[in-house]
Amino acid sequence: MNHGPLIFLGVFFALALSWFGLVFEPQLQLGNAQPTTNVVNTAELYPQRRPGLAKQGLDVYRSLGCASCHSQQVGQTGRTYDVALNDAGTNRAAVVGALLKVMPGATAAELEKLVAGPVPLKVLKDVTRAVADAAVGKLEPTGAKAEVNVIPTGPDIARGWGKRRSVAEDFLFDQPVMLGSQRIGPDLADVGSRLPVAERHLLHLYNPKIFEKKSVMPPYRFLFEKRKIGREPSPDALRFNSEFAPERDCEIVPTDQAKALAAYLLSLRADAVIFETPMTVAVATSTNAPAVSTNAPVAAATNAPAK
Amino acid sequence: MNSDPNPSNRPQEIEPIAGSARAPVWLFVLVAVLAFWGMGFLDNHGGGFDPLVYKPYKSLAELKADQPRTGNDAFRKGQKVFESYCILCHQSTGKGLPIQYPPLAGSDWVQAKDPGRLIRLVLDGIQGTITVSGQQLTGAMPPWKENLTDEDIASVLTYIRGNQEWGNSASQVTPDQVKAIRGKMAGRSTAWSPEELLKVNENE
Amino acid sequence: MVLAAVPSVPPVALAEIDSSCRVPVLFLFACAAFWVVTASIFALIASLKLHMPDLLADCPWFNYGRVQAAQMNALIYGFAGQAALGVALWLIARLGRTVLVQPGYVVAGAIFWNAGIKLGILGILIGDTTGYEWLEMPAYASPILFVAYAIIGVCGLLTFHQRREPTLYVSQWFLLAALFWFPWIYSTANLLLVFFPVRGVLQASINWWYIGSLSGIWFGFIGLAVIFYFLPRLTGGPLYSNPLAMVAFWTLALFGGWGGIHHGAPLPAWIPSVSTVFTVLTLIPLLAIAINWNKTLGPANWRESLPLRFVLFGAVAYLLAGALSIADSLPQVSQTTHFTFFTTARTQLLLYGFFGMTMFGAIYHIVPLLTQSEWPSAKWADRHFTLAALGIALYVASLALGGVFQGRALNDPSKSFLDVLRIGLLFFRVSTLGDVLMLAGNGLLALNLGVWLVRCCRACCVPAIVAVVKPQMAGLAR
Repeated sequence: MNHGPLIFLGVFFALALSWFGLVFEPQLQLGNAQPTTNVVNTAELYPQRRPGLAKQGLDVYRSLGCASCHSQQVGQTGRTYDVALNDAGTNRAAVVGALLKVMPGATAAELEKLVAGPVPLKVLKDVTRAVADAAVGKLEPTGAKAEVNVIPTGPDIARGWGKRRSVAEDFLFDQPVMLGSQRIGPDLADVGSRLPVAERHLLHLYNPKIFEKKSVMPPYRFLFEKRKIGREPSPDALRFNSEFAPERDCEIVPTDQAKALAAYLLSLRADAVIFETPMTVAVATSTNAPAVSTNAPVAAATNAPAK
Repeated sequence: MNSDPNPSNRPQEIEPIAGSARAPVWLFVLVAVLAFWGMGFLDNHGGGFDPLVYKPYKSLAELKADQPRTGNDAFRKGQKVFESYCILCHQSTGKGLPIQYPPLAGSDWVQAKDPGRLIRLVLDGIQGTITVSGQQLTGAMPPWKENLTDEDIASVLTYIRGNQEWGNSASQVTPDQVKAIRGKMAGRSTAWSPEELLKVNENE
Repeated sequence: MVLAAVPSVPPVALAEIDSSCRVPVLFLFACAAFWVVTASIFALIASLKLHMPDLLADCPWFNYGRVQAAQMNALIYGFAGQAALGVALWLIARLGRTVLVQPGYVVAGAIFWNAGIKLGILGILIGDTTGYEWLEMPAYASPILFVAYAIIGVCGLLTFHQRREPTLYVSQWFLLAALFWFPWIYSTANLLLVFFPVRGVLQASINWWYIGSLSGIWFGFIGLAVIFYFLPRLTGGPLYSNPLAMVAFWTLALFGGWGGIHHGAPLPAWIPSVSTVFTVLTLIPLLAIAINWNKTLGPANWRESLPLRFVLFGAVAYLLAGALSIADSLPQVSQTTHFTFFTTARTQLLLYGFFGMTMFGAIYHIVPLLTQSEWPSAKWADRHFTLAALGIALYVASLALGGVFQGRALNDPSKSFLDVLRIGLLFFRVSTLGDVLMLAGNGLLALNLGVWLVRCCRACCVPAIVAVVKPQMAGLAR
């Protein structure tokens, strides 16, 4: 091993291997990725480009280095299957007969009551795919409409940070992609679904202690303007409760940067159903409409804190 | 080797040289073991190197299996075929029309143990007077062997034979069964008559 | 002094090699010392901000995200990069038994490098950060760094080419590989992320590849080159095994640059899996290196030599960091440790514990040779070791343990996020103490070096200037 050029050549190929595997090959596979269609609502392309204000907000997010405390990647460790009866059909007796085979331990009387009740009805929970398929196979010939529901599972999902894992398509149009590597603050991949109200984000940016007394997030007061109230309060002014309000004659108005950042946070959603992330998000309804996937917020956000 | 960083007190400087002890053999064995483990790991977690497969899915097939669909594909497909072609005569309730179109719901012909006669009937059509579940009907059913594939015929027969809403619960029909009979009846070009068909053994 | 490469010419005297290296290498070391203190100050500020969120909250320049980025960049490019280059150049010259080529150009390169970093850190603080980890310096600063590196790297390469000693020692392989790999990863990462960005999540993949390669190959190889040089050198015996070192070198070159992509990432399953497999395979070079070092040391007495103490600490830290990164790459482990302080601990163990300490040891050994004089205060140097070792040990141990607890809490949905944070912060407080100790230690190094340089300059530069100016003044007076 005394010949410099030979060592260099060997090193070149050895080191190039990692470049090949982690830069070149992924670029071949994902470099020309195009928006895909939403599996449920196939007319809709996913992802959509972020609207202008949200795109500016991405820039503010980058410039403030938010990614050093917040991650933007929801993980998933598995999935479970449920079977839901969406429509009992016309031959109730046959449906009950099939259900007796599918739901061990239930009596005919219980099942008759259940079948007559509201749909969708969870027939089986947390079973394997094979069992779920078999159950649906028994139910369908009776004229009932049954469906296997795919439910992603994992600690992030259980924590409410997302309904499914983040995938490459979710970040297609972003530059820079700031996935973050620390969770000093909660994950933000789906924060637009969790907290869909701009004022909540603005209040939180101004003073995180409004929502969590022990928060370590610094207050971003420099994103806001404190000014004297003119003839009327500004429409944009933040609304506080008495504990955190500024002086009587002052109001806090978000600057453009703050508004852009709030718009960006609102645009952070990762709940569309695409090919890579099958999932069924059912909406509880008592009509016979089949289950659809919606983007309904998981938790309603409060407008102004009322503590 | 001194605690006094003064260089003038140091021994003569000699640049290090490398000894020539051999590398232990077990190190190379370990390489092989780890390489083997690595290949197994990639098999399990590599998702087939497919850009669409993310953890926790192990392969594209698994991912496809989880796409929205219902449990009984043949049944659903058969329902679609039925609603496209058969519903006009046999009606959506499967009850048909008296005298003209035989009922499928509760029909003894449909619920025969083996589907041999049914398959022939669908392939080449049937004409004449037929007795179905005690009813007598006279009419003609066109042949479907040109318009429907083996899969279509198998799925629609599965649908009508297994439709519990109509009260039927006979066995499934597979595309292979249809293919076999299509081959056997390849030369035929006329519709069956009920008498002729009753002479055929249903499991042929 | 550039000499043509003539194979039959006898090797240059060590004193002459050292004197050719004096100005550029000392300059690089002095700048490195400045940046390590700066980085430590930034690190302390960032660390304090997590305990007292209102600290400097109204100054956007000192926002946590920006200070954290400034700290990493100052540490990586300001301190580690320059220390690496200084040591690399000296080692290449020494091991090749030839003088350093064009020391003036090296100094020019170093000036550019520092200018680039100053501009970059300023850019980060005003908010022009690129958003990519370890590459936060804005687009107007990174090309300056690249050009500066090119100048210094070419001088190093030319020095290597002109070597009088035909046998290549282990360290030279590692240095050659590292010097080649840095411009490749730096230019690839900057081109594909900042100048002509790739699509979507590929940016993350390239970013993590850059971080993995920088840690494993650039810092790993240069640190290893230094340890492979100093362990036999300072203990007086030969390196135990050249073949083992070869095995380590080639397997590390093949497997070392793949680390850093964890399994939760929004990338297709094969990418993190491939990263895991290759990282686990780095167990081979780790074992080969461990055996080699263990057998080389024998019954060495580490108390006797300060540089040896630093280098030994660095060696142990390398092996530990390697083991941790192998463990961390496994999906079962990373499910608990990802997104926690554990990754910070592992990174700092590699950067500070391994690379930083190794460089400190090298500096404490090389500077006396270059200046032909002794340290102003051996006591300060001693204290530096104690403070640095204690600081790093506290920092890494507390954050590694804290990270594991934090991760387990994160995976337990019944624990609220505030609980998770509180668990992490409990251990984080200890790490802030570690930061203080490290800052103190680095300050001592900077002081020592500063006093030394002033003394050295007064000793040689002033008489030289006087010798030139005095006759001219005398001439004018006539």
